[in-house]
Amino acid sequence: MTEFKTFPNEESLCEYFSSLGGWTDPEKVVPLKGASAHEVAVGPVHAGVIEPGHFRFQCMGENVYNLQIFLGYQHRGVEDEIVRADGMIARQIALAETCAGDTSAAAAAAFSEIMERAFPARFPEPAPKELALRSLLIELERVANHVGDLGALAGDVAFLQTQAFCGRIRGEYLNMTAHLAGNRFGRGAIVPGGLRVTLSEEKAQELKNWIKRIKPELDRALKLMFDNHTVCDRFDGTGTVSKETARAIGLVGVSRRASEDFNGDVMARALVRRIEIEEAHAKIAALLAGEHPCRGEARHEEKSGEFFAVTSTVPAWRGPLVHAAAFTRDGKMIKYKIIDPSSHNWHGLAWALRGEQISNFPICNKSFNLSYCGVDR
Amino acid sequence: MIKALLARLKEGCRTGAFPPAAPSLPPEFRGRPVIDADTTEEDVRKMKAVCPVEHALAFSNGIASIDMGRCIFCGRCAEASPKIRFTKEYRLGVFRREDLIVKAGEKDYTPPRQTDREARALKGSLHLREVSAGGCAACELDANVLGTPAWDMARFGIRFAASPRHADAIYLTGPVSANMQTALDKTYAAMPEPKFLIAAGACAISGGLYTQGNLPAEPALFIPGCPPHPATTLEALLRFTS
Ligand code: SF4
Ligand code: SF4
Repeated sequence: MTEFKTFPNEESLCEYFSSLGGWTDPEKVVPLKGASAHEVAVGPVHAGVIEPGHFRFQCMGENVYNLQIFLGYQHRGVEDEIVRADGMIARQIALAETCAGDTSAAAAAAFSEIMERAFPARFPEPAPKELALRSLLIELERVANHVGDLGALAGDVAFLQTQAFCGRIRGEYLNMTAHLAGNRFGRGAIVPGGLRVTLSEEKAQELKNWIKRIKPELDRALKLMFDNHTVCDRFDGTGTVSKETARAIGLVGVSRRASEDFNGDVMARALVRRIEIEEAHAKIAALLAGEHPCRGEARHEEKSGEFFAVTSTVPAWRGPLVHAAAFTRDGKMIKYKIIDPSSHNWHGLAWALRGEQISNFPICNKSFNLSYCGVDR
Repeated sequence: MIKALLARLKEGCRTGAFPPAAPSLPPEFRGRPVIDADTTEEDVRKMKAVCPVEHALAFSNGIASIDMGRCIFCGRCAEASPKIRFTKEYRLGVFRREDLIVKAGEKDYTPPRQTDREARALKGSLHLREVSAGGCAACELDANVLGTPAWDMARFGIRFAASPRHADAIYLTGPVSANMQTALDKTYAAMPEPKFLIAAGACAISGGLYTQGNLPAEPALFIPGCPPHPATTLEALLRFTS
């Protein structure tokens, strides 16, 4: 989905860009005082193989009173680099793809949609078949990530079977992506105006068979976990974000859905992922059966104001991924902004920890599994 | 409980035959490149025009070359010119930075062998401390994959340690962003001697698409890719200590 806007001057353009929002780090540590107050600082280098961030658990006795989250360790200026690379499409798209590596396909689609809407003569609307392949890559990305996270959740409550099964099955979905794109994260496949890869009949059939083989294994692995009462006991009621809070702090995607459709705890976020895995498989089946997503008519806008901006929103696995670019009337890129769904949802994690014990942090964190680098501020 | 045990039995052993068997790589896999000996400056210019990375391709003293330490293996150059091709050679890890440069006309390739005795002493017990420093996290994800049953690197005694105090080497990913510089330096300093730095991914080796910060030491192992394929990483780690 894209949106086209024109602006008479730079001021109105900047106003629009700041209205798009995004993550803001807390300015400083707000100390917690009192007889039983203490703080636990974690990071930026964590014990696991994960991205850097600094977490400050401010506790009253055993319980977390507040969690302050400091990001920005991953900051490398992706947005500015994309602007600087204006005119070098391959470089721009590689930069967009590496903003958050687990959301590469969605990011490439978001960037491409912007360029297609901004310069329809240079980047014509992709054929329906190509749009279908783009969706396919995005859905495979969704399944791989959800499967990986559900497995990691199982690992965090020491339910090792599902952890091990899901770890392997996630790899199968990454390999499916590699089978289509040559890269396990789908890098380099989606480009403005189309794709660099095609989906042959043969490959489509291979993929169908592959999924037919793996999906029952995945179902078994997940059923095992969700049927286990000790796992359910750990997930139920842990890290709850109420519907009201979710709305007030503006959660999006999986986390929002967990608070809207369920009660917003770890179990809710796990269930939403399980549901989304099903939905993604239904979509993949439809796409492989020849269904084409429809984007509507290509519009050739009047570039009237001094500046114009295009915003694209792609249904990435964590939630809506928003990219926005501003151009001068003659097509020079002057601003680029990436709003990963994580930008909104980090506040949700902080909220989920309130009143919990620190030991519940891993499963709360994993149930959100937000991107650090995607929030490149 | 019974159900869980039955499921475990049914799953059986899922660890791949690699190694020692060859890994199963996707059909589109892009491994070590080869460049034709007669590649001209004009050919390189054509490749460079589509390359997303600065300085990945070069032409000097009449010889074309590609730097695997910068390349993100997107394959665009091979689309622009038939003079460069990506082979299925996945054994890309090397111990010296200059070995990552592939020159035009080079044909036979055998991966370098480890001669460092301190590194070889770690065979069967290599503990890594991962430091993620400003990358896109895909390198971390594909390092994590090595812990899953499909790859199971623990069977070779290779593990990720939770603390640098317990580690033999830092497994560095990302271009070392300004905000991670201090944390990386401190983590490296906290490791006991003898210690090694392993640079995994284009970002950690050269900055890749980004600008590189300062490495606390010269890496003892370079694993190219964006991200490196798990087979590439596992093979490189094994060769590092053998
Ligand atoms: S494969 Fe490497 S050298 Fe070739 S275009 Fe891509 S990044 Fe550049
Ligand atoms: S080398 Fe590539 S995959 Fe690895 S962190 Fe850098 S951009 Fe990401």
